[in-house]
Amino acid sequence: MFISFVFYTLAAVLVASAIMVISARNPVHCALFLVMAFFSSAGIWLLLEAEFLAIVLVLVYVGAVMVLFLFVVMMLDINLAPLREGFARYLPIGALVAAVVVIEIVLVIGASDIDLPAVGDIVYRDADYSNTKELGTLLYTVHLYAFELAAAILLVAIVAAIALTMRRRSGTKSQDPSRQVAVKREDRIRIVSMPSSSDPEHESSERRR
Amino acid sequence: MSDLLINLFGWLPANLFLLVETLLKIALLLVPLLITVAWYTYAERKVIGYMQVRIGPNRVGPKGWLQPIADAVKLMFKELIVPARANRFLFLIAPVISLTCALAAWAVVPFSDFLVISDINAGLLYILAMTSLGVYGVIIAGWASNSKYALLGAMRCAAQIVAYEIAMGFALVVVLMAAGSLNLREIVAAQEGGIVNWFWLPLLPMFLVYMISGIAETNRAPFDVAEGESEIVAGFHVEYSGMAFSVFFLAEYANMILISALTVLMFLGGWLSPFPLAAGLPLIGGLFEPGVHWFIFKTVFFMFLFLWLRATFPRYRYDQIMRLGWKVFIPLTVVWIAVTGIAIMIGLPPWFD
Amino acid sequence: MIPLSHFLILGAILFCLSVAGIFLNRKNVIILLMSIELMLLSVNLNFVAFSRFLDDMTGQIFVFFILTVAAAEAAIGLAILIVLFRSRRTINVADIDQARG
Repeated sequence: MFISFVFYTLAAVLVASAIMVISARNPVHCALFLVMAFFSSAGIWLLLEAEFLAIVLVLVYVGAVMVLFLFVVMMLDINLAPLREGFARYLPIGALVAAVVVIEIVLVIGASDIDLPAVGDIVYRDADYSNTKELGTLLYTVHLYAFELAAAILLVAIVAAIALTMRRRSGTKSQDPSRQVAVKREDRIRIVSMPSSSDPEHESSERRR
Repeated sequence: MSDLLINLFGWLPANLFLLVETLLKIALLLVPLLITVAWYTYAERKVIGYMQVRIGPNRVGPKGWLQPIADAVKLMFKELIVPARANRFLFLIAPVISLTCALAAWAVVPFSDFLVISDINAGLLYILAMTSLGVYGVIIAGWASNSKYALLGAMRCAAQIVAYEIAMGFALVVVLMAAGSLNLREIVAAQEGGIVNWFWLPLLPMFLVYMISGIAETNRAPFDVAEGESEIVAGFHVEYSGMAFSVFFLAEYANMILISALTVLMFLGGWLSPFPLAAGLPLIGGLFEPGVHWFIFKTVFFMFLFLWLRATFPRYRYDQIMRLGWKVFIPLTVVWIAVTGIAIMIGLPPWFD
Repeated sequence: MIPLSHFLILGAILFCLSVAGIFLNRKNVIILLMSIELMLLSVNLNFVAFSRFLDDMTGQIFVFFILTVAAAEAAIGLAILIVLFRSRRTINVADIDQARG
């Protein structure tokens, strides 16, 4: 009862924020609504006892990817007006396509041949069941190669993203902090030993000798 | 405690009883926490005052002890100005997001073996997720203010927090490798024993990385370029006044206390006593039993460290902060993951045997 | 209890919304990228639901990999977007009609 209430609330929020993602005028609002969508689906995944994935969704998507999106949206000085044109023109057909596809999928899900009800209900697990542990065990044994491949993809993505956006503009005055930090005393100061000669008394004593 | 609860609210249905119990627990945590935050601001002004050979606030109440209340009253009665052409809703919700994220992480922080609101399996992940959300308050505040200084501060802050979060995450990965669990209570239990058994010794570089990243994550001096009053006035909260401003302040201090508590839990044995053998001593032996007093004592020490660092170091330059995060901390943590892995494989005593 | 079909219908609605989003915002690359993220989210929702109801962890493993690849995709997509904006001063898809930089 309580779980159903939570699920339908989260589902409603999820759908509403998804609608706002595709229809909000300002891309910053779109990104923030997408954050909300990720949040509510993380909640739904928690209801499904997929706690690791739910928290990782918040950690990776909300905490990193969406920050990146917001960063880009806020930094780029985008002229919004031409990007919105055609929205009203495509709205009826877009809505129509979406509605048709939804109806089709619902019909498929509801079809008696597939026999979804036979799947049955979730059996809720004990409190000491660790979703993380089970996922990790599978990931590092059965799916090890796929895991390594995913790591390689991430590495390639890092290299590619940096290589694409890195630029050295000529004419800018910037410091190189690594060189600044690595500076030693010997690079800046040279201690020279010179005979002191300006002192008259000293000179006279020299002469006397 | 729970007997009393059952006597008082036992007539409620089970679900409602759980709700009441949880709400009471949350209140029991939040009230002392917010009081600590209030007097932490006072402690900051006093400590930094004495470090700079002056006395700090000393007018309101005996020795200035009522200063936080005076500050709160003043801020409450100030006008909340929303700038023209600012996004009003986002402008007002940003400080709330900041504070919520700072407080939500406390749900899984154990104060002792049994004093915890929610003892969840993936506690460490949850904490990492919640602390990574704090950046939204800053970004939204910076953008919604419709001011270039606020936006600059928000951009700096976002880049800095994302950079240091990676180092912080890796440091926590090392901790979870060492403890073999994501549950904070079990992480403390894995450090059972005296001061040499705690994780700060085998994971010393990670301990330092976590501390420093924590300071950078909370935007405290010497990493407070997001505020940078000498460069971009006050960064993301330049347009805020009154209560909205003070909520940002509350969030910052709650985050500092949180980082201190987490450092204690993960590297300094939480509520464990540093000298458990001394518990057999007559008279003072009871002090050396593990208990919540050790947790509070250690946390207060780290809270003091935050103030000490602020009074000691000049502000980092922004490019140096990014260099430290990306080019020093992240490689260091990756290397230490390998080192810890080897130590665990060979069962290095007394930590990993 | 919530039956599996409700999770699947929720996934379907999300998927179609993101398809509609690609339809409607066909000029704005950023919103296109966001729609793709939304689409992947709906697929992930189905995977998690199936995994839980069939009691088979493979679905969740798949979600893990989708999350990884989607994060990489978003990073590279945004990097390309920034390079594009630097050279063309626009992110309008209609203006991007040349393959060479």
